[in-house]
Amino acid sequence: MNVKYVQRDQCEATQLEDEWVILDTHLYTITKLNEVGGFCWSLLTQPRSLDMLVQAVTDKYNAKSSIETVQQDVENFLSDLISYGLLEHAS
Amino acid sequence: MLNFPTKIGDFIFEIQCTTNVFKEFLCTHFITLTKAQVQKPDITIVIKNNYGVPFVNYDVSTKSVDCKIFYKRADYLIEVNNLFQHAVISVHNELALKHALMNLFSAFLVHHNWGLLIHSSCAVELRVAHLFAGQSGAGKSTIARLSEPRKLLSDEASIIKITEDAVIVYDSPFRSELKPLHLQYAYPLKSIQFLNQALQNERVLINKADSLIQLIDKVFYWPYHSEETARIIQLLNLLVKQVPIYKLHFEKNNRFWELIS
Repeated sequence: MNVKYVQRDQCEATQLEDEWVILDTHLYTITKLNEVGGFCWSLLTQPRSLDMLVQAVTDKYNAKSSIETVQQDVENFLSDLISYGLLEHAS
Repeated sequence: MLNFPTKIGDFIFEIQCTTNVFKEFLCTHFITLTKAQVQKPDITIVIKNNYGVPFVNYDVSTKSVDCKIFYKRADYLIEVNNLFQHAVISVHNELALKHALMNLFSAFLVHHNWGLLIHSSCAVELRVAHLFAGQSGAGKSTIARLSEPRKLLSDEASIIKITEDAVIVYDSPFRSELKPLHLQYAYPLKSIQFLNQALQNERVLINKADSLIQLIDKVFYWPYHSEETARIIQLLNLLVKQVPIYKLHFEKNNRFWELIS
């Protein structure tokens, strides 16, 4: 099964230098993302699978880490943002 | 009925008071406009007394019903139409009136996407403004006192106009200890300091993302709609992109100004 993820619509994001700040305007929480997290976040305006994000990160940052490491990092990122209520599974 | 036209920031407020109890407070804190200066007011506010109980806490509940927005605290109730043209403020006493006016004015600024009311003191040095932000007890009033004889635009809540091209600070009538200057002009904002009382003076630049995060809880605001909350973030975004923000560790003397000017 190829699960896809997408931003929830109550989020207001802003990029400042190489970091991102995400405000959940319903829960009033603030989440700060680094550059790579912000890149993934910007892709998640549309439904994306884990594999799609891993491929995009690998391509953009010419990652020297193994594909397994990138996959684990992106998986952790998705898991964290779902637990914060910022992402949901795309229907 | 007391009729009291005043100007805050760029806006004309027509205050109508059903009692003279608050006359001295209003005349002391707010500039009185002459008839010639009063054009069409941006908002009309009717003030009533005998509402609620003395101050209990800062908790404000909000709701939006039938084109009206309500802000309710134990000692005040604000009812304003959703275009922010007409408001009725019912208060228990003078403190409640001051806080209710701050509440309404803050919401008014955000509604117009004009700027923000920020928990801070603000002093002018060489024709530019420097802001000192912090929660109660952080040292805003101390900094204001130590900054005299510089002009003080605020010692509690600073009025900041934010556009794509500039950030400027107006004289604030919302004061803790100092009397307002009733200045009719504004100053460009040169820096913001988050206050931290310490044994020695030091000023450290903060990155922009952390600056925005730390500013959020310094904004006077009680959300009633997620759109308005998003607007605050957009205004803060413009603010931190234009103005450098620092952590200021300061000891209780005026030598911290050597780090600023």
